[in-house]
Amino acid sequence: MKLKRVVAAALVALMGVSSLTGCNVAKDSEKSSDASSKTEMKGEGQDEIDILIYAQEHEKAAYEDLIKKFTQEHKDKIKKVNFEVTTQDEYATKMTAAMTAGDLPDIFYVGPDSVRSYVDNGYVLPLDDYVDQKVVDNLWPEIKSAYQYDGTKVGSGSLYCLPKDLSCFAFAYNKDLFDEAGLDYPDPQKPYTYDEFLDVCKKLTKDKDGDGEIDQWGVANANAFGMTPYLYSNGARFLNEDYTKVNITDNKKLKDAFQYYVDLTAKEGVTPTVEQDTALGGYQRWLDGQIGFYACGTWDVAAFMDKKTFPYNWDLCGWPVGPDGDGKSTTWLGTVGFAVNKDTKYPDLCTELISSLSTDLDGQKALSGETTGKSMQIPNIKDYATTTFKEKVKDGTIPYANNLDVIFGYVEGNDKYQGIFSESTYTYNAEWWDTFLEGIPNVQSGKISVDDYFKEVEPKMQDALDNAIKLQNTATKN
Amino acid sequence: MQNAIKVKPKLSEMARREERWAWLFIAAPFVGFLCFMAYPIVFAVFASFSRWTGMNSLTGNLVGLANYADILTDPKFWKSMVTTIIYMIGIPIGMFLGLVIAMALNRMKYTKRFFTTVYYVPVVSSLVAVSILWAWVFNYDYGLFNTVIKALTGTHGPNWLGDEVWVKVAMIIFMTWKGLGGSIILYLAGLQNIPRDYYEAAKIDGANGWQLFRHITIPLISPVTFYILITSLIGGFQVFVEVQVMTGNGGTNYSAATIVYYLYDKAFGNNQLGYGCAVAVLLAVIIFIITALNFKGQDKWVNTMD
Repeated sequence: MKLKRVVAAALVALMGVSSLTGCNVAKDSEKSSDASSKTEMKGEGQDEIDILIYAQEHEKAAYEDLIKKFTQEHKDKIKKVNFEVTTQDEYATKMTAAMTAGDLPDIFYVGPDSVRSYVDNGYVLPLDDYVDQKVVDNLWPEIKSAYQYDGTKVGSGSLYCLPKDLSCFAFAYNKDLFDEAGLDYPDPQKPYTYDEFLDVCKKLTKDKDGDGEIDQWGVANANAFGMTPYLYSNGARFLNEDYTKVNITDNKKLKDAFQYYVDLTAKEGVTPTVEQDTALGGYQRWLDGQIGFYACGTWDVAAFMDKKTFPYNWDLCGWPVGPDGDGKSTTWLGTVGFAVNKDTKYPDLCTELISSLSTDLDGQKALSGETTGKSMQIPNIKDYATTTFKEKVKDGTIPYANNLDVIFGYVEGNDKYQGIFSESTYTYNAEWWDTFLEGIPNVQSGKISVDDYFKEVEPKMQDALDNAIKLQNTATKN
Repeated sequence: MQNAIKVKPKLSEMARREERWAWLFIAAPFVGFLCFMAYPIVFAVFASFSRWTGMNSLTGNLVGLANYADILTDPKFWKSMVTTIIYMIGIPIGMFLGLVIAMALNRMKYTKRFFTTVYYVPVVSSLVAVSILWAWVFNYDYGLFNTVIKALTGTHGPNWLGDEVWVKVAMIIFMTWKGLGGSIILYLAGLQNIPRDYYEAAKIDGANGWQLFRHITIPLISPVTFYILITSLIGGFQVFVEVQVMTGNGGTNYSAATIVYYLYDKAFGNNQLGYGCAVAVLLAVIIFIITALNFKGQDKWVNTMD
């Protein structure tokens, strides 16, 4: 009896230990495993290339076409290209598993935030000797530098990725709501000041059906993505210049800008409340025509231009500018790049393939909308972007918002607009930033003041950042 | 007999052949166990002593017990531990409801199967799917709960998934609902195993309904209760999917995050795989201790019929 009991206890404990072997995490992948898809393209040669990226449907189709074309052109060399597409959520987990197993694909995505770790640990191939200089010269300089690394600093040195895209998080407004309210449209040459913006938002916030509850708001913001443009446009940053210290409590620019941001919800009521936002997110409300201003990433344009998705007239404008910055409307840029596995058997073929994925003119025409009518990104090829692409937008071949120059302003930078990479791009992980995000709803619903929140959260953010720095400096594989 | 030497009986050819097959059959699950359980466990324990990120060198970054020390001083660890334990309030509630419903079903003649099936549906449904469904049930403006609350009381219901306190209530309700079917089935089987004659004998001696329940039903289903308790406690420490699906990033101020969510967040959200392994080891130790205590304590209240 006693023995039986011991055995029983041991078995049950084993169930408990199964938490160690990732059974729980495995369950999570049920959710999206069906979102992952594999396609095979076959040639007649010997080489077999594995690709793993994440993509939306339209992008996937465009890349599939490009890879098919490439396989055809190189069918004497290629035996098979395995093209696997997963979701953005799943991607990091899959890559970690692949690295641990020593089974990285030949071609994969690397973001500017992880170039350093990938290079330090010897996972990616420097592209300098493989990629045609003409291809490199034709990229946006902003993205090129994001993928350069000299062994100590990102921004110069060897090139490690060819960009999949360069995106920016611009601002948009619903023209129909402006017409209804009898307001002038925002001037793309002159972004609003904080005060002007609040004023317009107040005029757009109303109870349309007269039931005593607000049902149209000036603006809606998703904290994780749509908050930093307000703060950056007041010249505010969270970290010091070498990204080692969190600086928020003694940071007037940040405090003022953040106060303005939370007051849009807490004091002025020109956004949906925190509760309303959990019920139905800002994106959905914008699509439903309840919101005056909403963020518009370059990848959103196709959806917003589709009348079935968004049956309103709209255009692009700048994020409002705070009083203490350099007067430029500032937003964050985004990019991810194609990298080649350092240990690939086919460095020449792989680099040629990523050159085509990144800069093939037909591919860029499809992704930016000239041949598909759906603009997922601005073209990577600068010549094409600033000439034909712009013309095709103007003549209506590419469905796009009129104020396309807002996006080019953010990407290229001028006296009114600029784009920067968010600060977490330069830190090993984004835990310090997530820590800041976690409590914002409590500030927006007035449960805690900005001062108290900053005091409470700053040490936690610093802990997380210290941790990230520790990890960045761990011994590498090389 | 004391001095008799134990002689291994010589096996016939057939018996030996059978024995060889037996080894083969035993080997299959054992090899599986070695590959998919033993190796990962040993690996995880080893990795827990390093600042492994999944990318860097595992052996070049051994830091001894540093991860464990960090965990014990990490407020997020304690916060998610407390939340995990709070969610376990649902276990006794679920057991009580399960027993009540099982007793009711036990009295039904024709509809028992039907209702048992109905209650069991959540157990066999995909956890992700029902979590998405319940996220809508709890929706602040459009959810079933708040619609009913508004209709009945005229006031707006709570922000179930967005508020730091209410999110815990919401999760407990969800987990109780999800686990109910399992307890009902087990209790039903337990109830059907109790011989009728015990009740009849007690009735002849003049026992009333409460006494029958208290002194016959409760003790005789205690092994089932024990089994449900143990498995729910273990499951309770491993809650992950519902948090991941129903709340964004662990909820406002990390208020909905459980230990396993914290583990996942650290390991895969922030590339702290060594640290995540340490959390997993710690979790396994906690589960082991609690289970051992339970087994030790069972003499006091668990009755077996033999």
